[in-house]
Amino acid sequence: MNEFPGEAPTIAIDAMQPGDSGVIARVDAEPAIVRRLMELGLVPGTELQHVRVAPLGDPIEVSIRGVHLSLRRSEASRIHVTPC
Amino acid sequence: MSRPADGGPTLKAAPLKLATSTPAAGHASAPRVVAILGNPNAGKSTLFNQLTGLRQKVGNYPGVTVEKKTGSVTLPSGRRAEVIDLPGSYSLQPTSPDETIVRDVLLGLQTDTPPPDLIVFVVDVMHLTRHLYLMMQLIELGRPIVLALNMMDTARARGVTVDIEQLERDLGVPVVAISAAKGEGLGNLRRMIERDVEPSARRFRRWPVHLERVLGSLEKRLPRHSALPERARHDLALALLLDDGEDDMLARHSPPDVLDDARILAKRLDQLSPGWRSDDVAGHYEAIHDIVARAVTSGTPRPDKLQDRIDRVLTHRVFGPILFAVLMGAVFQSVFAWAQPAMDLIDKAINLSGGFIGGLLPDGPVRSLVVNGIIAGVGTTLTFVPQIAILFFFIGVLEESGYMARAAFIMDRLMGRVGLSGRAFIPLLSSFACAIPGIMATRTIDNRRDRITTIMVAPFMSCSARLPVYALLIGAFIPNIWVGFLTLPGITLFAMYALGVIAAIAVAAVLKRTVLAGGKPLYVMELPPYRMPQWGSVFLSVRERSVVFVQQAGTVILAVSIVLWFLASYPRGGADAAHVEQQLAAATASHDVAGAHQLERELAGVRLENSFAGRVGRFLEPAIRPLGFDWRIGIGLVTSLAAREVMVSTMATVYHMGDADAHSSSLREQLRDTLDPRTGKHTCTPLVAVSLMVFYVLACQCMSTVAVVRRETNSWRWPIFMIVFMNAMAWGASFVVFQGGRLLGFS
Ligand SMILES: Nc1nc2c(ncn2[C@@H]2O[C@H](COP(=O)(O)OP(=O)(O)OP(=O)(O)O)[C@@H](O)[C@H]2O)c(=O)[nH]1
Ligand SMILES: [Mg+2]
Repeated sequence: MNEFPGEAPTIAIDAMQPGDSGVIARVDAEPAIVRRLMELGLVPGTELQHVRVAPLGDPIEVSIRGVHLSLRRSEASRIHVTPC
Repeated sequence: MSRPADGGPTLKAAPLKLATSTPAAGHASAPRVVAILGNPNAGKSTLFNQLTGLRQKVGNYPGVTVEKKTGSVTLPSGRRAEVIDLPGSYSLQPTSPDETIVRDVLLGLQTDTPPPDLIVFVVDVMHLTRHLYLMMQLIELGRPIVLALNMMDTARARGVTVDIEQLERDLGVPVVAISAAKGEGLGNLRRMIERDVEPSARRFRRWPVHLERVLGSLEKRLPRHSALPERARHDLALALLLDDGEDDMLARHSPPDVLDDARILAKRLDQLSPGWRSDDVAGHYEAIHDIVARAVTSGTPRPDKLQDRIDRVLTHRVFGPILFAVLMGAVFQSVFAWAQPAMDLIDKAINLSGGFIGGLLPDGPVRSLVVNGIIAGVGTTLTFVPQIAILFFFIGVLEESGYMARAAFIMDRLMGRVGLSGRAFIPLLSSFACAIPGIMATRTIDNRRDRITTIMVAPFMSCSARLPVYALLIGAFIPNIWVGFLTLPGITLFAMYALGVIAAIAVAAVLKRTVLAGGKPLYVMELPPYRMPQWGSVFLSVRERSVVFVQQAGTVILAVSIVLWFLASYPRGGADAAHVEQQLAAATASHDVAGAHQLERELAGVRLENSFAGRVGRFLEPAIRPLGFDWRIGIGLVTSLAAREVMVSTMATVYHMGDADAHSSSLREQLRDTLDPRTGKHTCTPLVAVSLMVFYVLACQCMSTVAVVRRETNSWRWPIFMIVFMNAMAWGASFVVFQGGRLLGFS
């Protein structure tokens, strides 16, 4: 998980448990998707909380600065956070 | 510090270069154009409605408004200004058709709409940081902007305070605190609209150096045209760089060599600094962060405990889906049960007035036209107003409370399985009211293939025009037996809606694996906070939909009923009728009352069958006989092309005309009791009714829908394809139901 030695370990947000928080470390999806996710506020350095998983296991709900977003796992797995 | 929402000293204290309060000069003739902009779900349409007195649709989920709408507002001086409500948008770099509209208006790419004189930028004060991102892009376009801090009522309740002067200083634009839903602060806002607001001179965005350099070189080469503000050129250049070649509007407005260069530059940037496409966003957010930190106290708003608690139940792993199903069941049950008393009342009133007016008129064509054509046709349709009202009441509550987005959250996995975009859920849900707004709502879907898939299946959702047809047939043929906490009619209605959903899912799955395969779009949806529905607005929408339905009855249905009456009355018989007439004359002469009565009924039936309408029905009969439909239903299938609910008025007229002593009984009874004079069997049976309902679930009958599909897909291919496959499915499914039902021994 720790790809950059010397940096704190990161995990993808679909691997977080409900209630866990972390600081966004990086988003590595297609460039256009990264841009939109960031425009929605998912910028590195921002604190993010994993809120819950939908009844059927996908999507997941995260909260960022009080905004609740629903993300499919395919995107959630591209967003990495440093747990805190 | 916070300020009372209205009447606060916002203007006096504002250290802004505001022109004196003289109304904008030079616009004396043309009214000012004020555009309402902001993120989705910020309350723009609510504000638009408050300012203009119009009734734009509002709802507590992102993506309600997908079109540009215009109204006018009276300013304190008595002058009027034109107000435009626009779709919500997250960024000037659009990802879906509705956001593209906003960008095109602002960058002056849309030639029919000049850029607005003033922008009222609406933000949800609870989500200030995110909402200011687009605001900042707009400020830097160099247009005059007023910031409307909306939802101040919620902020107050949650203890969030905003230092408005600080915000004004930092942003360089006037700020007005409002609550659009409660009508607070609108006086201030109106006054502000009247002023000459100077564009902010601030530039906040922190561009990475390499990007700035490329944008600078590209923007020099853009043609100058008056509609494009000087400072918008940076954003236009960025749009060109980011464009993947699918943006027609950009291509049309830029010289081809600049487009080519943009493409080459983008490629080079890809090699030199792979993250360049989003490099600028983080910097911009940093700037916003600083501003918000200075202006908002209580930091980030406290997490909403109530929302969390509600969501824990509504999206619970087990209870969530159960509650969803129970809720839907309850809706259909109530549409039936609650409407029944009102329906019976209207039904009685119409029968009485039919009998009364019929008694006043002399026997003859006029009486027949009034009683059989107009009262039967229009009157019967009116009995379904209560059901329409109840349906729209529930739709309104679901939309306003915020549950819609949760339903999408719960169901998304299934949608994803068949390949539908998560964004398809809300357009599909809207289609339960009517497919047309549903199809329009697909403009929020970014991927074109996903959008077309959603458009193609939206008409399977049972719209409110089908409800009267289901209600008529269920009321006539499905016995009112309790099964658990539901009744059989309620369950049958639910089953019809469910069948439409299943058909939609199946067709979407096939389309996404064949002609519309490909594309894996981004799905991110905001889950809005729960809100108490604005009851006034729910009731207004119920009233509006009921009024529209009644108007429809007074126009389309009235016209169709009159035309149909003629077609069903003439020509008056022919050889068959003459034969029966002779028999009737003989029977009357010999005082054979029973015989005469029997012959009278037969005569009416024979006449109808030989009329123009009857001939059309009989012409169709071979094609629909295998589905259990006779020529009477065939007439209804034809008139349904005007609007599906015309089926009901058609049946009313046809059954009235075909039955000499029908005036006393309701259409439901007639449907149940009428015998075919030739075969002596019932013309309509429970099995036929089910087969007919299934046909209505699946068939493509609505010409307005076809027209909208043509417009939204910009081709004839998709609407024609839709007509063919939907009607083929309808025929096939009804065939299976009717023939299968007969094999199983149902009648
Ligand atoms: N509490 C509160 N709710 C509000 C206020 N203004 C709007 N709302 C609610 O916010 C929700 C969104 O309102 P809309 O007017 O539909 O928002 P919009 O910005 O037009 O949304 P889109 O068309 O999706 O971009 C609705 O449920 C409104 O009732 C307000 O001042 N206070
Ligand atoms: Mg709106």
